[in-house]
Amino acid sequence: MAAAEACVGQVVLPGDVLLLPAHPDEDGERLRLGGGAAPRGRLLCGPGLRRCAAGLLVTKCGLLRHRQTGGGAAAGGAYWVDSQQKRYVPVKGDHVIGVVTAKAGDVFKLDVGGSEQASLSYLAFEGATKRNRPNVQVGDLIYGQFLVANKDMEPEMVCIDSSGRSNGMGIIGQDGFLIKVSLGLIRKLLAPKSEIIQELSQLYPFELVLGMNGRIWVKAKTVQQTLIIVNILEACEYMTAEQRKQALAKFSGN
Amino acid sequence: MAGEKEKVVAAAGGCCLRPFSCEQGLLSRPDGSAAFLQGDTSVLAGLYGPAEVKGSKELPDRAVLEVLLRPKVGLPGVIERSREQLLRQTCEAVVLGVLHPRTAITLVLQVLSDAGSLLSCCINAACMGLLDAGLPLSSLFCGVTCALDPNGAIILDPTTRQEQEARAILTFAIDSPERKVLMTTTKGSCSVEEGPCFPP
Amino acid sequence: MTRSARASSPSSRPAMKATPLSNCERRFLLRAIEERKRLDGRQCYDYRNVRVSFGADRGCCIVELGKTRVLAQVSCELVPPKLNRPTEGILFFNLELSPMAAPGFEPGRQTELLVKLNRLIERCLRNSKCIDTESLCVVAGEKVWQIRLDLHLLNHDGNIIDAASIAGIVALCHFRRPDVSVQGEEVTVFTPEERDPVPLSIHHMPICVSFAFFQQGTYLVVDPSEREERVMDGLLVIAMNKHREICTIQSSGGIMLVKDQVLRCSKITAVKVAEITELIQKALENDRKVRKEGGKFGFAESIPNQKITTFKMESAAVDTNNVEEQAEEIITKADPPSEVFAKPILHTPGTAQIGEGIENSWGDLEESEREEAVEEEGESEATAFEVQKMETEDTSTLREAEKDEPIVLSDSEEEEVIILEPQELPTKARPQANLKQENTSKKAFNKRRRKKRAVR
Repeated sequence: MAAAEACVGQVVLPGDVLLLPAHPDEDGERLRLGGGAAPRGRLLCGPGLRRCAAGLLVTKCGLLRHRQTGGGAAAGGAYWVDSQQKRYVPVKGDHVIGVVTAKAGDVFKLDVGGSEQASLSYLAFEGATKRNRPNVQVGDLIYGQFLVANKDMEPEMVCIDSSGRSNGMGIIGQDGFLIKVSLGLIRKLLAPKSEIIQELSQLYPFELVLGMNGRIWVKAKTVQQTLIIVNILEACEYMTAEQRKQALAKFSGN
Repeated sequence: MAGEKEKVVAAAGGCCLRPFSCEQGLLSRPDGSAAFLQGDTSVLAGLYGPAEVKGSKELPDRAVLEVLLRPKVGLPGVIERSREQLLRQTCEAVVLGVLHPRTAITLVLQVLSDAGSLLSCCINAACMGLLDAGLPLSSLFCGVTCALDPNGAIILDPTTRQEQEARAILTFAIDSPERKVLMTTTKGSCSVEEGPCFPP
Repeated sequence: MTRSARASSPSSRPAMKATPLSNCERRFLLRAIEERKRLDGRQCYDYRNVRVSFGADRGCCIVELGKTRVLAQVSCELVPPKLNRPTEGILFFNLELSPMAAPGFEPGRQTELLVKLNRLIERCLRNSKCIDTESLCVVAGEKVWQIRLDLHLLNHDGNIIDAASIAGIVALCHFRRPDVSVQGEEVTVFTPEERDPVPLSIHHMPICVSFAFFQQGTYLVVDPSEREERVMDGLLVIAMNKHREICTIQSSGGIMLVKDQVLRCSKITAVKVAEITELIQKALENDRKVRKEGGKFGFAESIPNQKITTFKMESAAVDTNNVEEQAEEIITKADPPSEVFAKPILHTPGTAQIGEGIENSWGDLEESEREEAVEEEGESEATAFEVQKMETEDTSTLREAEKDEPIVLSDSEEEEVIILEPQELPTKARPQANLKQENTSKKAFNKRRRKKRAVR
């Protein structure tokens, strides 16, 4: 057993138990003190962690991460395990790329790579009405967001935000190419100021849609340019930052 | 983690295991994969899930865990079926299936070569595969096979020949944090006192 | 020459429950093939890398063809011969599509694909008479060796048949059966310790080479990958040995091939077969040497050298010629190509969110608050996303391009970009979300207060 704070940034394995920083048994003093002066931060236990009697039980292998939330005391913040996996599990609010597999009455069925197909109402598009239906065909790609996603229900997607705007979501064009990468790489690419994206953008113009479900849609001017981006992105899974820079230098260097 | 290789070579000792090693994420199609080698015994594990449930096996409160053990020669027989049961029960004890109800987790184990202690190698491959797939686990686990030779001495991780000569073969699955026994199976006869248990 | 035009169209194979192929993938693949480009950077006539590794047992090998993997194991048994062939050994081949190879494969199901593959293997290895069956006879009419070849597909990334045929013939070459002696009626089988096991007598090595056809045979590629197989119109498989003898030939998918095409394919096959045969012989030779010297062999050989071997990405030989010029051209041009910006460019950097989601055991929350907690989780994530959108007429992008700047789709400080930062969440953007969040946090706060009081 180790204190959660001490393990941040380290590899944790399933079965490890992390002591909570503000667990009453261990840190009763701090709790009481904190109760008076500064409000104790709320502790969130994210993916790969579970509450158990002794503290936090690690359920996945990966690096333990921690983020302070809203300037609380040291005890608060969110802990999660940054793990590498391929299979996607829908999460509410995630932006994903789905493939339309069927049109069933008022809803489309989308394959998002999860255990169950997601449903998408034809009204959940910007400006869609009962008369003005979006033109969606089986096999089309759709970029949308999960409105409902939990373990007991069929996931439901929408292509509009809470104010009814498309906000970039909707049907993805007929051109371009779709690839599948690990969820870890997607998170790396989606990180603010992702190095890979910045380096790639030095090459030539291209369009990119990143879905949290590990799918990437790429479109460049020519087939060849698209293929190059696709190959670089797929290779990023296995390359170190150094190797990647070298590979990219081939294109942009001269 | 995919693309990484964990390799441990056991130190030689009196009652030692054969050198073992593991390779994870070696197959591109499955959600998780691992090959586990113990001496010349090796098993490849490929895993899909949490995925769509095939047929009517769906459970409303937890994931369906299916274990398939594929022999190298011929079709799976009675021994494979019984080992599948043991492996499934071991994995079920550890996988937090309640987090993914109405889904299926399919674990396929392919025997690559059998040179003794096959069941424990299957258990280890299964664990590494589950880990690679990123499925929620309450703990890790490992498998150990012990053989009792006619003199009553204990041989850990026996080879095929040692297994043939042994009076009894015991296989244990042990979880990581508390070293509790998750599963045990015995072949041959041994007394209660002899039922040894030591974590590696 | 094309022996059969079997009606088995490649598209009629069982629908993979995995990812359905999207229209855009299909279009792109076909367009790429028209431009003679392949996903992994190969040329049309290029084969993927073949890797052969042997197991510790005799007659066991794994063949990797790109990411496609096949495990082969040969075994033998003394059985009575077939009545009509009393002096010939029995050969038995079986290819299994293990459920680990692809999510759509079910154990023990005889799919159309499986039957087709097994027939091809049979024709490639049995009907070519590459194995001398008469040498497998022990006592005529009484005892012969039955040689059994089990093939298991472990990972499916296209072109199963080529990988399986290579694995099959390699395993057969690698196999050693126990030596036997016959004295009168008595048959003695020697253990490996008593007498060295004997290899099978193999006359030649037939190897399958597959060609995928597109656009009714207009375009062809060698060694199709899984995605290419999904968009192909037809498939031609030629089995040949290094003496350029065609052992079997099969065309499926119902495409019409002209004579020249088939001849060209057979020429390509001859080249590929020669290369592969050489590789196989090298691998066998290497294994023989290692075994002789008593070194580590089999899959265990990789243990001592602490190397990272896993899933090395094969360097994709993407044709990068004149891309630079093209790119240069694009960048130096004052106006970027309009079609690139024909649609809004999306870029949504997110936070480190792990696709788990259903685990709502978030700290400090009571059962009753679970529901809200889940909602809040969703909201906070959503706000953490910086959703940006650049419109077609977004002048900023144009300007950027003019400045020789990279076409960065992110974080430009232009006023058109709406960035929703988690902290300084603009209320106008998500008034509801905020409200909800306030609500929940207030509730949570109250709850906490209550709890604390209880603690005291």
